[in-house]
Amino acid sequence: MAVHETREHDVLIIGSGGAGLRAATSASAAGVSVGLVTKCLLGKAHTVMAEGGIAAALGNVDERDGWKTHFADTMRGGQYLNNWRMAELHAKEAPDRVRELEAWGALFDRTKDGRILQRNFGGHAYPRLAHVGDRTGLEMLRALQDSGVHLGVDIYMEYTVIELLKDGDRVIGALSYDREKGAFTVFHAKAVIIATGGIGKLYKITSNSWDCTGDGPSLAYHAGAELIDMEFVQFHPTGMVWPPSVRGLLVTEGVRGEGGILRNKDGHRFMFDDIPPLYTDQTADSEEEGWRYTQGDKEARRPPELLTRDHVARCIVREIKEGRGSPHGGVFLDISWIKEKLSDAEQHIKRKLPAMYHQFKRLADIDITKEPMEVGPTTHYAMGGVRVDADTQMSVVPGLFAAGECAAGLHGANRLGGNSLSDLLVFGKRAGEFAAQFARDNQAGQVNHDHVEEAVRRTLEPFDDVDEAGGEGPYQIQEDLQAMMQDLVGIVREEEEMERALVGLERLRGRARRVVVSGNRAYNPGWHAAVDLGHLLTIGEAITRAALERRESRGAHSRSDHPDKDPAAASVNIVIKKGFDGTMETRRETIPAMPAELQAIVEEMK
Amino acid sequence: MDDRITLRLARYRPEEEAEPTFEEYEVPCRKDWVVLDGLNYIKDQLDGTLSFRWSCRMGICGSCGMTVNGEPKLTCETFLTDYAPGPVRIEPLQNFPVIRDLIVEMTDFMQKLTTIKPWIVRDEERPLAEGEYRQTPDEMSEYMQYSMCINCMLCYAACPVYSLDPKFIGPAAIALAQRYNLDSRDEGSGERLDILSQHEGIWACTFVGECTEVCPKDVDPAGAIQRYKLDAALTSLKSFLLPWGAR
Repeated sequence: MAVHETREHDVLIIGSGGAGLRAATSASAAGVSVGLVTKCLLGKAHTVMAEGGIAAALGNVDERDGWKTHFADTMRGGQYLNNWRMAELHAKEAPDRVRELEAWGALFDRTKDGRILQRNFGGHAYPRLAHVGDRTGLEMLRALQDSGVHLGVDIYMEYTVIELLKDGDRVIGALSYDREKGAFTVFHAKAVIIATGGIGKLYKITSNSWDCTGDGPSLAYHAGAELIDMEFVQFHPTGMVWPPSVRGLLVTEGVRGEGGILRNKDGHRFMFDDIPPLYTDQTADSEEEGWRYTQGDKEARRPPELLTRDHVARCIVREIKEGRGSPHGGVFLDISWIKEKLSDAEQHIKRKLPAMYHQFKRLADIDITKEPMEVGPTTHYAMGGVRVDADTQMSVVPGLFAAGECAAGLHGANRLGGNSLSDLLVFGKRAGEFAAQFARDNQAGQVNHDHVEEAVRRTLEPFDDVDEAGGEGPYQIQEDLQAMMQDLVGIVREEEEMERALVGLERLRGRARRVVVSGNRAYNPGWHAAVDLGHLLTIGEAITRAALERRESRGAHSRSDHPDKDPAAASVNIVIKKGFDGTMETRRETIPAMPAELQAIVEEMK
Repeated sequence: MDDRITLRLARYRPEEEAEPTFEEYEVPCRKDWVVLDGLNYIKDQLDGTLSFRWSCRMGICGSCGMTVNGEPKLTCETFLTDYAPGPVRIEPLQNFPVIRDLIVEMTDFMQKLTTIKPWIVRDEERPLAEGEYRQTPDEMSEYMQYSMCINCMLCYAACPVYSLDPKFIGPAAIALAQRYNLDSRDEGSGERLDILSQHEGIWACTFVGECTEVCPKDVDPAGAIQRYKLDAALTSLKSFLLPWGAR
C-alpha cells in the first residue's frame, strides 16, 4: 500500500474564494487549527470577478432601508422558495459583515460625507450595494486575503480534492492531490467546510472561470449530503456576445444601475413591454421616472431594466427568438445615452464603470461611452447546492459544512444581484464558527485506508488506459457536455429535451470512463480536466433531474411545456440524494411555514 | 494576413530535461484571439500536457502573466494579430524559478506581501457598533490607484533590481505598502517604514520605471516607490538632521 502524506487540522476548508477565506478567518479566530485547500493560487479565485457590489441594508444612501426590506426583497426575488431563516440571518447580519470588511481595510466608494456609498441593483428596493467601481469582488477578496494571511492558516495552493473521507456517517477529512507533483495527500480533519463556488463550466456560455466545475456539491453528494434547488441556474441577462472568444464574460448589472437601458434592433426599449405582477407597483411607468430613480430620486420607481435577473434574461431571449436581436445574437445595452442627461457623461461612465469601459475597449473595440454594447444571457450562478442548516451551515452529514455558492437555500428560485457577496461573508463566518465548534466537540475519526486506495486508483485510471482502443482525451467530452447542457437544459426547458439530456449524460459518462490522458502527473491539465469531468457529470444529472421534476415555470427555471406557475409547487423544494444503489434519487419536500413575524414583514412589503 | 500563426513555446519537463527547450505549434490567428486562446487551443487540441496558469479570461485574476516576445504580458489581453505573421515566442515570466513549462514559483512574493502588513493598523480599533470609518471620496482617491494591483507579477518580471537581488521586496509589495500608508484609516506607516527602509526595501530601487511600464492596471509602482523614498528621507532628516523640527 502506498504511503500518502497526511495532514491534520481541526477544520479543513475547501476553496479560497470569499466564503472559504471568511470561514478561515472565523474558524481561526475561534482558536482551532485551520487548513485551507484550493485548486488555484491564493487571491485568484472566481470571487475576484464579481463586479457590482455587496448587498447590505446599511441605509447610507436611503435611510428608509433596513433588514426587513432586504429580507422581503430577497424572498420576493427568490419567489418565496428561499430558506426564510437564511434570508433573515443574511439580511440582519450583512451590514456588520460589510463594516467589518471595511475595518479590515477594504476600500469602498464613498458618499460625500465619507460613508460607504451604495448603488441600485435589480430587485433591491433601495440603493443597497456597497461597491468600489465595478471591481468589488477583487477588493473583497484582497481585503480578506491581506488581513487573513497573518492568522496562521495553513494554505495548500493548487491542491484538488477528489473525495471526502468518512468514518461511519461522519465526514472526517478529504483526499486530494497537488497539481505540482500529482502526489496524494490525506487531510484528516474534525470538520470540513466546502466553499468551492459555482458550476458555470457545465455550460458552453458562462461568466465563470475555469475552476467553477461544481466540485463541492458533487463531493458532498457522493458523501451522502442532500442537494436542493438544483433546477435553478441563474442565467445573467447581460454577458458579452461578441467577439466569440469572450462570449459569456460578465457585463455588470451596475451598468443598468447607473442608468443603462436595453433596446432591440429596432431601437425599442422592450423591457417596458412585460412587467411581472409581483413588481408592477414598484416599477416606473415612464422612461423619465426610471431615469430619475437611477439618479437617486426617492419618489421615483425603478426602471424595468432593474427587474430581477430571471425576468430580464427571459425578455432578452424573447427578443432574440422573435427576430429582434442585435447582429451577433444579443440585444443592445446602452449607457452612452446618458449624455443626453449629464454634461460629463463620458467621465461619469469611466469613473463608475472603469472595468467595463476597459473590457469593451480592449476585447471588443467598443467605446461604451459612445456606443451601445451587445449583450445576451450567460450562465452565471447556481442557486442550488448543498442543503445546509440555516444557523450552522452544516449539511445532513455530520462534520460536513458548506458556505457560499455551493450551499443552497438563501436565494430560492432566483438570486438578487449583490446577494452573493453578502452571502459569502455572512455564511462564511457562520460556517467557520460552527465548524470550529464541531471540531472542539468531537474527536478525530478513523481514516479508512482501503477507501483512500480505491479513490487513488480510480483517479489514476486515465493514465492506465493509454493503449486501450476507443479512449479519448477529456476536452472533447467536456465540450460535448457543455453544448448539450446549453441546448437541452438551458434557459428555456422542456420534458422531451431533458429526457434526451439524461440519455446523453449516460453516454458521456461511458466516454468519461474510458478517458485517457498522456504525460505524467506533474501539472497535467488533461488529467485535471478528466477529474473535473466526473463532478460536472454529477451536477449535470442533478440539474436535469430536478428540472424535470419541477413541472412549472418559476424564477430562473422556465419550461415551455409548463409556462405557468403551479400553485402546488409554490412551497416545495426538489431534494436530490444518492440512493443506496448508487443512483440519483429525487423527492419533493414542502418548505415549513414562515413564523408569523417574518410572514408579517413579507405581507407588509408586498 | 495569414490565418495561422506559429507559437514558439518554452517547454520544461524537469524529470526529462535539465534545461527548457522550445517547441512550435501552429494555431489559428483569429482577429479576436489573444495569446491565451492560442495556448488553450494547443492544450485542448494538440498537446494536453502543456502546463500554464490562467483563470478569469478578463484581466482581473492576474494568473496568466507570461513573457511574450521578450516582454511580460497578461496573455488574456495580448492579441495574436499584433504579432502576425509570427512566430510568437512565449516563455514563463522572468526572474522566477520555473516549475514546469510556463508555470513559475510565486511563494516568494506571497511571503513578501505579508511582511509589509497589508491591513489597516490602528492603535485602537473601532467597535462595529459605531459604524464604518469615515473616509471622503478625496481621501479615498489618494490611494485608490495603488489598490488596483492584481498580483500578476509582471512588475517583478520586469524589474532589473529584483533580477539581480531576489531579496528586494519588489514593486507590487511596495505599492501595496503605500496603498495602506496613504489610507486615511491607517496608522501603521511607521511600522511599515521600518520594514521598507531596510536594504531590500525601497532604497534598492534604482528607479528604472520598468514596473510602471508593464503594469496592466496602471498601478504605477515606480511612482509609489519614488514617493515613498521621499517620505522616508524626509522622516529620517526630521529625526536625525533637523532636531529643531522640519516644516
